[in-house]
Formats: sequence, C-alpha cells, structure tokens
Amino acid sequence: MPPRNPFTRSAQSAEVKPRKIGSSLLQGVITVIVILAIWQCIVIFFKMPSFILPSPGAVLQKLVQRADVLVFHAWVTMQEILLGLLLGLTMGLFFALQMLLFKPLKRWLLPILIASQAIPVFAIAPILMLWLGYGIASKVVMAALIIFFPVTTCCYDGLRSTPTGYLDLAQTMSASRWQTLRHIRLPAALPTLASGIRVAVVVAPIGAVVGEWVGSSAGLGYLMLQANARMMIDEMFAALFILALFSISLYFMTDQCLKRAIHWRL
Amino acid sequence: MNNRIKKGCVTLLLSVLSLSACAQNKRVTLMLDWFVNPNHGPIIVALQQGYFDEQGLTVKIQEPADPSLPAKLVAANKVDLAISYQTSLTIDVAAKLPLIRASTLISTPLNTMMVLDNGKINTLADLKGKKIGIAIAGNEEAIIGTMLQTAGVNYSDVEIIHVGWALSSALASGKVDAIWGGFRNFESNQLAIEGYPSKAFYPEEHGVPMYDELVVVANADHYDADAIGKFNKAIEKATAYILNHPKKAWTIFVSYSPDTLDNELNQRAWRDTLTRFDLRPAAVDLKRYDEFTQFLFDHKVIPFKPKSGDFVPTL
Repeated sequence: MPPRNPFTRSAQSAEVKPRKIGSSLLQGVITVIVILAIWQCIVIFFKMPSFILPSPGAVLQKLVQRADVLVFHAWVTMQEILLGLLLGLTMGLFFALQMLLFKPLKRWLLPILIASQAIPVFAIAPILMLWLGYGIASKVVMAALIIFFPVTTCCYDGLRSTPTGYLDLAQTMSASRWQTLRHIRLPAALPTLASGIRVAVVVAPIGAVVGEWVGSSAGLGYLMLQANARMMIDEMFAALFILALFSISLYFMTDQCLKRAIHWRL
Repeated sequence: MNNRIKKGCVTLLLSVLSLSACAQNKRVTLMLDWFVNPNHGPIIVALQQGYFDEQGLTVKIQEPADPSLPAKLVAANKVDLAISYQTSLTIDVAAKLPLIRASTLISTPLNTMMVLDNGKINTLADLKGKKIGIAIAGNEEAIIGTMLQTAGVNYSDVEIIHVGWALSSALASGKVDAIWGGFRNFESNQLAIEGYPSKAFYPEEHGVPMYDELVVVANADHYDADAIGKFNKAIEKATAYILNHPKKAWTIFVSYSPDTLDNELNQRAWRDTLTRFDLRPAAVDLKRYDEFTQFLFDHKVIPFKPKSGDFVPTL
C-alpha cells in the first residue's frame, strides 16, 4: 500500500467540513422546531391566555407586522452591544496585562475586578444613568461592565499559565520581556481568552438591555417595556426573540472566527 | 395529672373556637400597586381599625415588585383583588384580560407633568424641544400628546425618555426637563424635601378627560360580589374616619409599619392625599369611564372600545 499523500488527506477533511456545517445547521433547525412545537402544545393543552404565553404563531405575526419598529430598536441595541463588547474586551485585556506585568499592582486591581462582578448591574444601573445620561454611553458601560470580569480573569489566567518550558526556552534564547509577551505569553493565553470572549458575547446583551430597562428612549428593552405596559405580550416575545437571536448568532460567529484564528492548543 | 388534662382540653377548645371564628371570616388577598404609601390610607386604616373584621373579611396585603404585575395576577386568578389604575385597567380589558373594576380608591388623576420651579419652564409651550422623562405605562403618547397640543406643541417636538422609577432624581439632576408620571401628592414633596421646588401641570386642566387614578380590580370570571361589597363598606368607613380625624388616622396609618412609614415624605404626602380619597369607593360614573375609553381609543392606545358596563359591573 503506497504511503498516503498528506495533501489528499487535507482534501478529504476539506470535503468533510461543509457536511459538518450542514449537519449542525440541520440540528439547529430541528431543535428550534421541537422547541416551537412544545411551546405550541403548552399553549393549546394548558389553554394559556395570550397575556401569559402567546402562541408562536402570534409572535411570528408580530415579527412580520412590526418589522420596521423591531428593526429600528434592534439596531439601537446592536450598537450598544457591539460598543460594549469593544470597551469591555479592551478594558479586560488591559487590566489582565497590567496585573501580569506589574505584579504589585495586582493586589490593588483584584478587589476592583471582583467588585465589578459582585455588584449586581441592576442595582447600580439607575446610578449609572444619572452619571452618564440616558443615551448610549450608559448602556455601553453596562454591557462592558458585565463582561469585564469573565474577560479579565480568563485573559489573566491564560497569561499566567504559560507552560514553563516555553518561558525557559525564551530565557535561553535571551528574549526580551516584550518579545516573550508578544511571541509566547499572548499566543499561549489566546485559547483561554477565547473562552472568556465566548462568555462575553453571550452576556453582553444582558448588560445593554438592563441599561435600557432602567432608562432609555429606544432599544429592544425599551420596546419590551412599552409592549408590556400595553399588554402586547406577543410583541414583547418578538423583541425577546430578536435578542436571543443576537446572542446566538454573536456566539456562533465569534466561535467560528476564534476557531479559525486560534488553531493551536497547548 | 387531672389538672393537666383539663388545661389541655381548655386550650384545645379555645384554639378550635378561635379557628372557627377565623373560618367564618372570608379570606381576601389584596395586592397593592406599589409598596405601602399614603395612597393606600383607607385600606391600611381599615385593617388597623378592624373594619374588615367587622365586615367578616380577613384581608391579606401583598406588595409587588413591579406595578404592572398585580392586575396580571388577578387576571390569572392568583390573587383576589389588586390595586391598578383606570388607564391600565382599560388597556388590560381591551387586551382581553378578564378584569373588572371593584372599587375606587382615588377618583381624580394624581399624575402630573412636573418641572423644576426655577423659571426655565413656565408654560407647557416652553417644553418644545425639551426632554420629558417617563416611567412607561403605555398611555404616554395619548396623555402627554394631548397636554402638549393644548399649548400648540406636537408630541414629536419633545424627546421622550424612559427613566424608570428614578423620576425625581432624573428631574432634579437636570437629565430631563420635565417628568410625566410623578404623583402630585408624592413626587412634588419628595423633590421639595431634597431642596428642588417643583411646579406641576395637571392633565385634567389640559385636555385630558377625568379618570380614577387608583382603582381596585378583581377577576371578571371569579369575583366574589359579596366580599367586594364588604371590602368597599370597610374602606368607606375608613375614609370617613380619616377625614374626621386626620391626625389620629395618620398615627394609625404609620402604626402598620412605623420603621418604613413614619417619615417626613409620607407625612407631607398624607396631608396632600387626604382630599383625594374617594368618599364612595363603591360608586361609579359609567359615562365618565366611557369618555376616558373613547379618549384612549381616539389616540390609538387601545384597538377597540370595551363597554364600561362590561368591566365596571354594578355590584
């Protein structure tokens, strides 16, 4: 038997990939259909009044009927989430690097880091509104605040747990501190940081919506409050659906990007 | 030993008797719209003075975490009675929630458009291009729009910002120029205590038809007309007592929970609420209800007009 050509193998795996994506898509669709069916069954069998649980059909109808309003408010929330993610990730990375590079600083920064997670965002939201106003800034800060902890801890843990072999090698090759960080510590930390980012993209929308809940003039949270006050629970669910869609698509997009960018594992 | 058995028997007999006395009382759960405050004066006074007991009712009071919740819980038949607002009740009934109005607690509007009394905004017309903070209740566009219209300002000329329950602080901090939804007996006093004198524009003086601010609602399919009648009798008696003995009534009111109720804000609010309590909680003016429903319908807040006779039954 002739030795297998490595290129053919890679060609094979390239063939396998689309099928994999196709099957995972199918799985997703099946899950959604099953959930919708259970939901519909609950509505029918338990005779749920529409103000407690509207039927999936009614929600779908609202999604179509109020598409223009939903898109407008979704766009506002999307901006808040993305800017919040950007701010939270930058801050997290910066904090983690500070703690790694300036060891004594860690003792001072750690309490702040833990406090950022210990304070319920819902409790400080009204105060943040008064400080930062009812515009986009307060929501961006809320989203950033909620992801700050997972990002910082993951990044810091990743940076800290570089295999000593690599560090010894860098020392042997007399690499500078910057070079060690750039070529060894950061790449080695990326897989752990990636987990933090995956958590961040899923929870960031919570921060943005909590912000809108407490003070806003637009956004999905604002729309949900309006719908709730007018007893249009189907519209509230429609907004909720879009929000869930945001989190799910953000997660999968980030996951794919991270998988492509970070192909190594330690 | 014999003595002990005797004592035991007497205790048992007493407890059975007291249980049967309780059993004669009808148990009613009432969920307030918010934490206990002077607006609930007649209910608290009736409770403390034993007026519910006289009527054969045991009323259990609950406080909600979210003011939009109580009416829904009544519609879901989880509580018997709840305090709601005529505006919300009309919206709820138009959304097919099985609710009826059982009694009226405060029969005039309490909501106001409030601004700081610093000479910057003197008339509603001055609100053009300004920010108005609200706590979303679903009827803002209709009511604020109507009020502004009387001053020649369009609803689209102002910026509406939902500020949640931080109405007073939003206005005091200058983040908004006016607030809608502040109660004339509560927020105005809150702002004054903090050192921010305020000025109010009243909806009923600016084109909005009269409505009941606070009403008690019951489930349309499961309400107990007899219990509601007794409940109304008790709060009517309490209201009369409050008007006859305002100072004594205040001490009775705070005795419900001295730690949370006995403060300057409540004392000031109490004074301003005295004239607002409905003297005839059971009485109702159907025509007035119809006019307000028409107003909400004309402003597209509700998709159809529920007939007042259907959700305001004669009990």
